[in-house]
Amino acid sequence: MKTPELKPLLAERLKLLMPDKEDFNSFLEILKKPTQNSIRCNTLKISPEELKERLEKKGWKISQPFIEYKEIMIVDGKIANEKITDSHINNKHQSASAVPGASAKDSENKLQDLAPGELGRSLEHLLGYYYVQEIASMLPVLALKPKPGETILDLCAAPGSKTTQIASKMKNSGTLIANDVNLGRIRILVTNLERCGISNTIVTRNQGFMLCKKLKSQGFQFDKILLDAPCSGEGTLRSNKATYEMWNIQSVKNLSNIQKALIASAIDLLKKDGELVYSTCTHSPEENEEVLDFVLNKFKGIVNVEKINLPVKCRVGLTKWNAEQYNKDVEKACRIYPQDNDTEGFFVAKLRRIK
Amino acid sequence: MEYIKILTEHEKKKIEQKLNEQFGIKGIPGKIVMRGAERLSVFTGNADEKEIRKIEEIAPIEKAGVYFAKLINEDIKLTIEGTQILQEQIKKGIFEINDGQAEEWMMGRELNIKTGLRGFVVMKNRSDLLGCGKASENKITNFIPKSRRLKNRG
Repeated sequence: MKTPELKPLLAERLKLLMPDKEDFNSFLEILKKPTQNSIRCNTLKISPEELKERLEKKGWKISQPFIEYKEIMIVDGKIANEKITDSHINNKHQSASAVPGASAKDSENKLQDLAPGELGRSLEHLLGYYYVQEIASMLPVLALKPKPGETILDLCAAPGSKTTQIASKMKNSGTLIANDVNLGRIRILVTNLERCGISNTIVTRNQGFMLCKKLKSQGFQFDKILLDAPCSGEGTLRSNKATYEMWNIQSVKNLSNIQKALIASAIDLLKKDGELVYSTCTHSPEENEEVLDFVLNKFKGIVNVEKINLPVKCRVGLTKWNAEQYNKDVEKACRIYPQDNDTEGFFVAKLRRIK
Repeated sequence: MEYIKILTEHEKKKIEQKLNEQFGIKGIPGKIVMRGAERLSVFTGNADEKEIRKIEEIAPIEKAGVYFAKLINEDIKLTIEGTQILQEQIKKGIFEINDGQAEEWMMGRELNIKTGLRGFVVMKNRSDLLGCGKASENKITNFIPKSRRLKNRG
């Protein structure tokens, strides 16, 4: 499928974000390339080692890009027209360690792309052993670092990729409230939670800021909150061609207001020392740094921005955009650009309530 | 929206007793939550009943915990997740199937085989637990929901 043209204003804004010509060109180039087939092992049901072995037996070539996060896997393709046996896998591993170059080339020669939708049709997927999730979309939860026993709110949860990731880090303990406003999207969320065997979660349906107000009035407080906010989706240009058509500057401004209302109401629910991860799949500073700047002003001396370490290349948050100057602390946020890591684009920041 | 029912300890024990008779299961690791007369979910979160009720007052609860079993007359049918969650505890009523049969099973087809068993049986292929089927004299009836069925042979 031909890559659509960026709307002139969007192109202009992205060029301002990536002023280096070569960098901007590599951004444009990667938009033409489909995203990698990434999956996340559901460790509530199976270990990464067992899953990898099973998928390799199907002939899928699996890589694990991050040593510290073995559950994250990339399906590089499948071995063409060949019956896969245990000995094949063992031989492949042995030869890979003995003569890495020769073995990799040999298997690459026979490698085919997966058929469209194949990841979602496998037995392992149907049994909930893995979740199909883009790597950049896994990063907010890596920043949140959920732990067993914690009380966590996922404010804009559907379709559930991050909710299931949080619950698996919590080992199905503690309490996770997963909220969304749209009934259709909640149905998908519920289906995904079922398939992944998530048992520590309560799914609610409400406007995010209304839910926060009501929870506060009832005295609820949270150790951690994920606010993966609704956004203009500039980071999803590789996988969602509709974004090219749908993007407009007015919705960026409208969404920025919604995001500010959501984050302000969510911060009210944090315990002292509690953490909130704010993320979007967009590049627009109005929906990212401006939201952080707003909250740092509104909750001055109450919240601060924490530095986060993610296993990918991140660029610092912007302190200046057009005529706007933002709080210097927003530099601690992470801008993830698709050309840096062969992922989608994302924005991730972590706030801590200090008072 | 129908409110969720959290089973009392006494009600939970009755379910566990039935699960013990059918599958040798000793206990459910969490609260049992019901919506409607048949569907049983297990909630392993640490929110207590009072907190769950408070949440329910302020926002419709669409789901709590994971759907693990269904009451059918006097019997209990475990879902795929039910068999997986309770895997370690299931000691009886298991029917092992081979790879070919498992593929048919996951495509939603009934298996025309004699099991020597009657009623709900846990379907197992190698280490995979595949929910429950209902065994009668010559076949096992399939309950795999459409959304969880294999569309093509693997």
